[in-house]
Amino acid sequence: MRKNPAFNRFFMALVFLFLYAPIFLLIVFSFNKGNSNIVWSGFSLDWYQKLFTDRLIMQSVYTTLLVSLLATAIATAAGTFAAIGFFSLRRRARSVLNTVNNIPMMNADIVTGVAMCLFFVAFFTFWSDFAAWFNGAQHFVELPTRLTLGFGTLLIAHVAFNIPYVILSVGPKLRQMDKNLVDAAMDLGCTWMQAFWKVILPEIKPGIVSGALTAFTMSVDDFIISYFTAGSSSSTLAMTIYGMTKKRVTPEINAISTLLFVTVLLLLVIVNVREARLERLGRREVRRSPRAEKVSQALSTPRGRLARRGAAAVLAAAFVVTVCLLTGATNAQPMVNVCSWGEYIDEELITQFEEETGIMVNYQTAESNETLYSLLKSGAGDYDVIVPSDYMISQLIEEDMLSELDYSNIPNFEKISDRFKNLPYDPENKYTVPYAWGTVGIIYNTAMVDEPITSWSAMFDTRYAGNVLMFRNSRDAMATALLYLGYSLNTTDESELREAFQLLADAKKNGVYQSFVMDEIYQKLEGGNAAIGAYYAGDYLTMLENNEDLAFVIPEEGSNWFMDAMCVLKDAPHKEEAEAWINFIASTEANLANMDYIWYASPNEEALEEYPAYYEELYGEELDPEIYEIMAAPQEVLDRCEAYLVLPAETRALYSTLWTELGI
Amino acid sequence: MKNKLSKFAVPYVIWMALFVVAPIIMVVVYAFSSAEGGFTLDNFSNMGAYAVVFGRSFKLALIATVICLAVGYPVSYMMSKEGPGFQRVAMVLIMLPMWINFLLRTYSWMSILENNGLLNRLFQKIGVISLYNGIFGTDLQFFPMLNTQGAVVLGMVYNYLPFMILPIYSVIIKLDRSLIEAARDLGANSFNVFRRVILPLSFPGILSGITMVFVPSVSTFAISKMLGGGTELLLGDLIEQQFLGGAYNPQLGAAISLVMMVIVVVCMWVMNRFGEGEEQAVML
Repeated sequence: MRKNPAFNRFFMALVFLFLYAPIFLLIVFSFNKGNSNIVWSGFSLDWYQKLFTDRLIMQSVYTTLLVSLLATAIATAAGTFAAIGFFSLRRRARSVLNTVNNIPMMNADIVTGVAMCLFFVAFFTFWSDFAAWFNGAQHFVELPTRLTLGFGTLLIAHVAFNIPYVILSVGPKLRQMDKNLVDAAMDLGCTWMQAFWKVILPEIKPGIVSGALTAFTMSVDDFIISYFTAGSSSSTLAMTIYGMTKKRVTPEINAISTLLFVTVLLLLVIVNVREARLERLGRREVRRSPRAEKVSQALSTPRGRLARRGAAAVLAAAFVVTVCLLTGATNAQPMVNVCSWGEYIDEELITQFEEETGIMVNYQTAESNETLYSLLKSGAGDYDVIVPSDYMISQLIEEDMLSELDYSNIPNFEKISDRFKNLPYDPENKYTVPYAWGTVGIIYNTAMVDEPITSWSAMFDTRYAGNVLMFRNSRDAMATALLYLGYSLNTTDESELREAFQLLADAKKNGVYQSFVMDEIYQKLEGGNAAIGAYYAGDYLTMLENNEDLAFVIPEEGSNWFMDAMCVLKDAPHKEEAEAWINFIASTEANLANMDYIWYASPNEEALEEYPAYYEELYGEELDPEIYEIMAAPQEVLDRCEAYLVLPAETRALYSTLWTELGI
Repeated sequence: MKNKLSKFAVPYVIWMALFVVAPIIMVVVYAFSSAEGGFTLDNFSNMGAYAVVFGRSFKLALIATVICLAVGYPVSYMMSKEGPGFQRVAMVLIMLPMWINFLLRTYSWMSILENNGLLNRLFQKIGVISLYNGIFGTDLQFFPMLNTQGAVVLGMVYNYLPFMILPIYSVIIKLDRSLIEAARDLGANSFNVFRRVILPLSFPGILSGITMVFVPSVSTFAISKMLGGGTELLLGDLIEQQFLGGAYNPQLGAAISLVMMVIVVVCMWVMNRFGEGEEQAVML
């Protein structure tokens, strides 16, 4: 191989091309004028500008850096001590501990994440009982009874998976060290603390540095473990990106990555240039006499002391910041945690609400009702306000997870149309304020199908194999099949459900489905990557803005109409703020802004009637009545649609099983 | 000195008991309990139904690992032959992508591989697709690349290749040069030097590279969701679905995690028997 350096270089160049092509693309498209990652529409720096005003992204960058730095500092210090401790243990004990230490590294991230999540939640349950007992037993110290996943747990998880990397790189350096040095130092009267600072530490410094670097890299790159341990109140950059890859990634993300990339590149260049120079110097020094070496050693001692002090200061700062964060998080300014769906709010409203009330909004999104339910149940989601759909609301009420609202704090509830009050999911309207409603239908690309689509059969038709997008949530996916078969959406008949499942499974086996999607459908349909997909009417109108070939139909067999309503979770820590938010969103102005932005119909009577006029005023042209009808389906269409009702527990279990089976 | 310094290990031992061992015990407890809280084996009795997913995950992860090894080993070897300046730059270049979040890099692949994506557009422009249609008499508008198993493997190789290169490289670079010289002096040609000296000595690096590629590949869920389109579930997807996804059943999720963990541990243990006595290669 040595004989062919040209070939070697070529091969390496290919590998580097493979590694860098996607990154290069990301960087190029951060300067794109349009918001596409494929079509170039001119140079601009807009995304960089927008980036710095985007609170969600900036906040997550901040969280990422903070957690990575803190975790690295803590893990490096703890890992170094642990490595020294391990090193001085007897062989048998050391090998046992090393095996345990390797667990987080050898274990799949997802198992570590899940395990941590289960452990924390179990601990919180235990803690709340303990704190309740403790607070009852004495009155001097009041312990918080309600702990949740958040920055603290995220940090613990990061420290836990970082320490092994530090030990792994410090351990070998310790083994290389001349053991007699330590003994000699102690014989000469060093305390073991002095022996540590003066003898061991300088010897293992390279190991510590590379361990810290590895730890930091791992922290920054981690997604899976954070995803399971961060809860909803703190989100790392990776989690924000993951949320975005489900719909459209804004090029702001490209911009922040480019910035990070360039920063790291510069840092590494500086470090390497310096290292190279030191190496050259070092070589020269060796050639010099031993006396020179002594001089240079003497010179470096004060610097070493300085470095030690610096490290101590960083550690202390890290500790203080952590303590402040952990304690300060509870009594900071008023805030409300909202969990809604993707592309489901005019984000201006959030800013407006914050300015009007001074309450900060932590706005999160979930993928589907089923996911939301998982988030709530697993303890990973810690929200005040959620916006589930009808059937999920019934289920949450049934499981006693919602809190009754104080409607005197929500005067705007009056404006909700009477036909949307006291619906079956909340018959006495004690828990909910409607948010938006709409219908489900088939969206298709007229340029990619031969004839207009009128029936749900299109979702199972092998003619469109590889071009159909199916829902990635059990209730909606099963509904398409149930509708086609002519069964009720709320059937509890097992044979009917199995028949519907079989229809889906066969279609999947025959390659009908290109993929199972939720909000990814935006980029798939807009970009002409798929021809047919079932989704919600409002989202169709959003897509239509970007691709005029798309059409929407409520198939002849009928469909589902749904209502999403705002509810407050039981034990929500910010109930008052939550009701203020609900009241704000229920106002006519907010509903108009939202209708215009998300294209879902408003339950607010005034807003619904005024919208065409509002649109005309805003855009100077008349609203196409057809579009208005798709958005706010008229009564005769609604009559063909069925609303979801909550299913009995055994049917829900069947849904879960069938859904998992379909995935296989 | 030994006994005094060993006190340093105590805090970390407590930490490990709390945040490494206890969480895994939680997984075991969940795996053996029912939704109501009692002991049950039900979570395991249906495991056969997921055999397909296990098979698929292990197959794809294995393919990805083999490709990573086939590409990563030569790269590490060639790098070690270059001058120190080149090596330094190459190392930086290999580590650098890790600083751009892997989700984003994977997302970038999505826009490359889409039916209407960059690669297909390029193929259309330069006539590869019409050429293909001409030869095979097909009527393709594009090559369907996204949402296939191939795309998932590509994503795994792309994301985890550095984890293969780094440990192998760090072992090769530390090889005792005099051994190679000795082999040459004793008459071995360069192929034999490689096969008899370098390859066996770089084994620890290969082993840790395999571990570091295989384990994340077999348990990934983001890559398969993004590049595989959710039509071909992997183990990671299945587990995620039971915890934070659309089919809430943490007990089943824990059981699947446990089975996966045991299989992986057994694989690694068997593999590490080969390299017994060797210390784990440090990665960076």
